Amino acid sequence: MSTPMSAAEMRKILATRKIERVVVLGANGTMGFGSAALFTTAVPEVTFLARTKAKAEEGLAAAIKQVRSPTVADRAKTGDYETDLAAAVAGADLIFEALTEDLAIKKDIFDKIEAARGEDSIVATVTSGLSINALCEGRSESFRRNFLGLHFFNPPNVIVGTELIAGNDTDSEVADFVDAFAQIRLGREMVRTFDTPGFAGNRVGFKLMNECAQLAGEYGPLLVDKLIGPYTGRAMTPLATVDLVGWDIHRAIVDNVYENTDDEARETNKLPAFMAKLMDQGVLGNKTGGGFFKRDGKKRLVLDPATGDYTPEDEIKLPDLGYIDEVSAFHRDGRYKEGMAVFLNAEGEYAKIARGVIAGYIAYAFERVGEVTETIDGIDRIMGLGFNAAPPSVLVDAFGAQGVVDMIGEAGLAIPQALSEAAKSGKPSRFFNNRRINVGRFFVAG
Amino acid sequence: MAAGSEVYVLGGYQTDFSRNWTKENKHFSALMRESVRGALESCEIAPEEVESAHVGNFAAELYCMQGHLGAFFTEADPAFSGLPTARHEAACASGSIALLAASAEIEAGRYDLQAVVGIEQMKTVDSELGGSYLGTAAWYEHEAEGISAPFPKLFGKLGDEYDKRYGLKDEHLAEISKINYANAKLNPNAQTRTWYMNKDHALCRTDDNPAIGGRVRISDCSQVTDGAVTLFLASREYAEKWAKGVGKKLSEIPRIKGWGHNTARLKFADKIAESANDQYILPHVRSTITSAMKRAGLAGIDEIDGIETHDCFTTSEYMAIDHFGITAPGESWKAVEEGWLEIDGKMPINPSGGLIGAGHPVGATGCRQVLDAYLQVTEQAGAYQVEGAKNFQTLNIGGSGTTSVSFVVGR
Repeated sequence: MSTPMSAAEMRKILATRKIERVVVLGANGTMGFGSAALFTTAVPEVTFLARTKAKAEEGLAAAIKQVRSPTVADRAKTGDYETDLAAAVAGADLIFEALTEDLAIKKDIFDKIEAARGEDSIVATVTSGLSINALCEGRSESFRRNFLGLHFFNPPNVIVGTELIAGNDTDSEVADFVDAFAQIRLGREMVRTFDTPGFAGNRVGFKLMNECAQLAGEYGPLLVDKLIGPYTGRAMTPLATVDLVGWDIHRAIVDNVYENTDDEARETNKLPAFMAKLMDQGVLGNKTGGGFFKRDGKKRLVLDPATGDYTPEDEIKLPDLGYIDEVSAFHRDGRYKEGMAVFLNAEGEYAKIARGVIAGYIAYAFERVGEVTETIDGIDRIMGLGFNAAPPSVLVDAFGAQGVVDMIGEAGLAIPQALSEAAKSGKPSRFFNNRRINVGRFFVAG
Repeated sequence: MAAGSEVYVLGGYQTDFSRNWTKENKHFSALMRESVRGALESCEIAPEEVESAHVGNFAAELYCMQGHLGAFFTEADPAFSGLPTARHEAACASGSIALLAASAEIEAGRYDLQAVVGIEQMKTVDSELGGSYLGTAAWYEHEAEGISAPFPKLFGKLGDEYDKRYGLKDEHLAEISKINYANAKLNPNAQTRTWYMNKDHALCRTDDNPAIGGRVRISDCSQVTDGAVTLFLASREYAEKWAKGVGKKLSEIPRIKGWGHNTARLKFADKIAESANDQYILPHVRSTITSAMKRAGLAGIDEIDGIETHDCFTTSEYMAIDHFGITAPGESWKAVEEGWLEIDGKMPINPSGGLIGAGHPVGATGCRQVLDAYLQVTEQAGAYQVEGAKNFQTLNIGGSGTTSVSFVVGR
C-alpha cells in the first residue's frame, strides 16, 4: 500500500495517461448505472453495456433519474454484450465490471473483455467482497497488471467513501493512477484495503448490522434499532439499513465473510435462521415492500421475526429507555463526550446490550488492523464516509480508552492490544486525527 | 497596517457544510460549540488563553429565533465565562466584519488572542421563506418585499449590466459554475461534494436547471447552508510564544497582511447609476480589493497566488475577475476561456469550491474564506491545494455589492 499522495503528486500522475472512454458492464444494475452516472461527471464518453440493448437503455434512464440531469445522455452510449462489447472494450481506457456478485458470471465476462481489450486499458471490478486475486486468476499478465477492485458504495454518486483493492499482480502505477483519478476527477475519499473477504467496509460494517439482526430475533427489530440508534453514532439505524440495502445483498456479504474467514467474532456474521426462512418467502427488504419494517400508509409496521407477521409500531410496548433521551439531550447541544459518558454509565439490561454491540464493533475493527487495512485510519475513513457511521477511533475518543476497555470487558470480549495499551499509558491521547472530518456529524440526537 | 501591529492567523476549524443541523436534531449552540472546540483542538490552544471573541452572523433572530450570539460563545467552554464578546452583522459580509473588529483590537493592543466565529444556520425554514429573509440584506421594502427569490434577481441584473456594457455569454457563467463544483469535490467540508454537475448541466435550459432570477439559473447559485467557522487571530507577541509551543517558527505563521473595506449605497439601481461612467461596474468593490493589496504592500494581482471570492452567483464571480485586475474591465471571459481560474491555472479562484460549491452559510462565509486562505498558504489544503501558494486574497460581499471586505493572507 502507498502513503497518501499530495495534490501536486496526484496531478502529476493524472497527466501520465487519459481516461476518455469508459465502458460499464452490468450497467442496468444499481451499482452499474450509479457508477456510470458518476463517470459522466469526468469522462466524455461512457458506454452502458448490459445483456440486451434495452436493458442498457434502462440503466441509462435510471442513471439520469438518479442524478437528475438529462445531460448524462449526452455523454452516454448503450449496447449489449453480443454485438457491442468487443468494439466498445477495444476502444476503452477503463473497463468497469459491475455484474452480479458471482465468480462464474464475472469470469465469463472477463473472457470477453480479455479477448477485446487494448494492452494498456485498466480493468476494474466493483465487487463488494469477492477476491480480486481469484477474479483474475489464469488471465494474461497484461490483464492482471491492469486489474484492480474499485469498490464504490451505493449510491455511488452520493457516498464518497471508496475502496481500492490491488491484487498480487496489480501494477502499483496503475493503482496509484486510479487512486488519483478517483480522488481528483471523481471526488472520492479513497481507502486502500487488502484482498480479504468483504474488504474493510463491509467486513466491519455488516458485522454490526448482522449482530443487530441476530438480536432482533430475541428482542424484536423495534427495540434493537432504538438501542443501536442514532445516538450511538450513525445517521441510519442498523436494521433500517439492512432493509434499504436489501436482505439478499446483506446475505451475500455476511455469508461470504462467514464462509471465508475464521476470526474471533465469526458467529456474529452468521445470518439468522429467521431471515433465511423469510427470504424463501420472498422478503428482501424495501425492494419487496418490507423487511424488518414496512410502511402501511402513514403507519410503520414492525416484523415479528418468529411468525413473519407485522405489528403497528405504536402497539409495541418498549421498556424504559430514558438514558437514550439523556444522551440525545447532550448531543443536541453538541456535548458529545458528555452524552457518551451517560451511555457508558447507564444501568440496566438494555443499555448493557447496546454497549455490547458497540464494544463488539470497536474491538472487531481494531483486531482487523493489518488484516483488512494497514492502519485503523483506513477502517475509520470507510466507516465514516462509506457507512456514515462513527468511525471506531471516534468512539474511542468519545468514550475514552479506559471506558472502551471497560465496555469490551463487560461484553466478555478480548481487548485489542492498541486499546489496552492506550488505557494504561494514556497514549495516544486521541485516535482520530483527521481534523478535516467533523466528528460531531456522527452523533445524531435521537 | 502600522509596524509592530501585525495580526497573525493561527488557524481554525470549519464544520462540514453538507450537514443539516435540523436533521441531526441539533440546536444552534451545537454548531457554535463544534466549531469553537474544533478550532481550540486544531490550534492546540487552551480555552483559558482566549481573551476576547467576535461572532459574525446575519440573521439568527429570523432563522433560529435566537439573538445575543456573542453570549453564546461563552457556552462553548466554562473558561469563557466572563470574556468580552460581541456580535457583528453586515449581511453576507458579517464574518469579515467580525474579523476586522478582532484585528483592530489586536492592532490597538487591547488583546493578544482573539476567537472569531462566523456562523449561520439556514435550513430551519423552507426556501421561499429563507429567500425572503435573505431579502433583508437588500433594501427590503424597495427591492425584496413581495418578490420571490430577490437576490438571484438582483445578481441576474448584475449580469445584465455586464451584458449591456461589455457583452456576456451564458457559457462563461456555466464554466464558472462547473469549476466551483469540480473544486468542491476535492473539499471534504464542501456542501456540493456529491452533487451532479458538469458544464452540459450548467448550460441545461430545461426544468432540471430552471431560471430563478432572469439569466441566473439554479446552477449559477450559491447554496442554502448550515455552517460555522472559528479562527484564532493573535498579536505578534502571542504568535511568537504559540509558534514556539507548537514547534514552528514565527515566519511560518501567516498574517493578515492587508485589508479593504467599503460600503456602497444599498439599492442595486443606485450603485449602477453611480458607476455609469466608470469602467468598473462596482467601483467600491474594486477599491476594497486594491486597498487590501496596497496595505499588504503588494503591487497588484501578479503577487497574489490565488483567490477565495464571493461567488454568491456566477455573475458575482464574473464581476470579481475583472475587479481583481485579472483581466481588463469587461474582459473577465478571457480568464474563463484561458483556464486561468482552475486550481492549476494562472490565477486559481475558489479552489475550495467557493459559495457555489463549498456552500454559503451567510455569516460564516468571510471566516471560511480566510480559513481557506490560511490552509492554502500553509500547504494544508489537501486535494485542493494550490501548489506553492504564498499570498491568498479574499473578497466577501454583503448585499448586492453593498458591503465589501477583502483580506490578503500570507506569510
